[in-house]
Amino acid sequence: MKVKTFLLILILWFSSNQTLFADEAKMKKGLEIFNETAACAACHILKAAGSEGNIGPNLDTVSMTIESVTDMVTNGLGVMPAFGEGEILTKEEIDIVSYYVVNAAGK
Amino acid sequence: MKKRLKKLNLSRRNFLTGTATLAGIAATASVVPITIANANHSEGKKGLPDFISWKDRDALIVHSDKGIETHRSAIGESLITPNRNIYIRNNMPTMTDEQIGNRMDWKVSIEGVKNPKTFTIAQLQKLGHETMATILQCSGNGRGFFKHKPRGSQWKTGAAACVLWTGVPMKTVVEACGGINSDAVYMTSAGVDHVPTGLDPNKAMIERSVPKKVFKDAMLAWEMNGVPVPNAHGGPLRMVTPGYFGINNVKHLGKVAFTSKESSVKYMKKSYRISPIGKKGSQYPSCWEMPVKSWITRPTDETGTVKAGKVQIVGVAMGGTKKVRSVKVSVDGGGSWKKAKFIGPNLGKYAWRQFVLETDLSACTYNIASLASNGSDKQPELRMENRRGYAHNGWKDHSVNITVV
Repeated sequence: MKVKTFLLILILWFSSNQTLFADEAKMKKGLEIFNETAACAACHILKAAGSEGNIGPNLDTVSMTIESVTDMVTNGLGVMPAFGEGEILTKEEIDIVSYYVVNAAGK
Repeated sequence: MKKRLKKLNLSRRNFLTGTATLAGIAATASVVPITIANANHSEGKKGLPDFISWKDRDALIVHSDKGIETHRSAIGESLITPNRNIYIRNNMPTMTDEQIGNRMDWKVSIEGVKNPKTFTIAQLQKLGHETMATILQCSGNGRGFFKHKPRGSQWKTGAAACVLWTGVPMKTVVEACGGINSDAVYMTSAGVDHVPTGLDPNKAMIERSVPKKVFKDAMLAWEMNGVPVPNAHGGPLRMVTPGYFGINNVKHLGKVAFTSKESSVKYMKKSYRISPIGKKGSQYPSCWEMPVKSWITRPTDETGTVKAGKVQIVGVAMGGTKKVRSVKVSVDGGGSWKKAKFIGPNLGKYAWRQFVLETDLSACTYNIASLASNGSDKQPELRMENRRGYAHNGWKDHSVNITVV
């Protein structure tokens, strides 16, 4: 019984760390897309990314969800390009940068 | 999780390594002096961005630093909306005093006329003076009611205001230029607020074409509610297109041209088009004329519970490009309607009218709605579903629930 419990705890610990590593990797990749690949930083303030662009809204002041950011990044708005069109970003990259923005905003 | 920051290197090289498609934005952004670009957009003392720190924070709902709405109950009851309560919706960063320079020396060129000319504000002020009241309303006012959650600020009722403008009538300016060229179909106004950003004008310039006839009532305004047009509202010179959605009232005005074709910039061709959900394109109508609309401003769920007995229900009503003729109020969610009384002065067909209905309410919860008519059109019950959530004037979504105790 004790062995079983120990194994269970070990599995849970291992899987939770896997998630943690995956999240951290996603945030790192998201930051890279934000600052470099997509150059979101050129137009938006996001303190966590060190960006000071002032064309679009300050992302630290906007209430948003991953869905709303994904929609915005994919389809654009006004001067903001539609990153989902013309293969500017892949769908995976859009998912990652949207996850990053929502989790980095306000921090 | 350990925070890993990779500080942004705002160098030209860094930006130029972006994708080819983004090279335009990236390259131009790299040459923007960051200190200037951000000079007016850090967090304000009262939770407002610095460039509008003079506004009344309590009257406003902050969606973002560039999308700020007036509370339903903060519209006020004096017909004209005070500047400190007026909403903010800016597509470009607001120009700073340094970028604007001497306001009297600000220039606007007039083209597509017999004798094209460039006027400074000082020269415009020698041409003529007029004051008029119009409604400023964002095309997306009411977007927050759409169930499909369109992109953009989720405005309910507060991306609207009634404003007194002082300036020179466009008609006077046209006369001073010898009249409009015969092939003109549109009046096309362009702002210059994109210039300091260095962005591609085709993507960033706010240039809006409206039907030529609009010039007859339009104005080049330098004063707004008794003060020089604030930078945040498009000063020192703004085009006023009465009855037309806010975007057509071009801020930081640099050019007015009478043209045979609509502007080809993105903000005309692609943006602000009223298309079905899932569709887009320049074949769909542009956000031009505002439809008839009204809403209750008091009492609302923001103003707390209401004491049973006589209750004054107050609101605002607009006719779009026509005079608003009547308003009816319902306290039972549209089951029955009573005619409300207009109050305050009539400032012309482009201003809104305030209305009141006095009624007796006993302790209960009520759904209060208003329904305006301009003689030809009246508000529909439901919103017109569209992709970007524009031009909402359905009375049902704009109703309020109140509790009477």
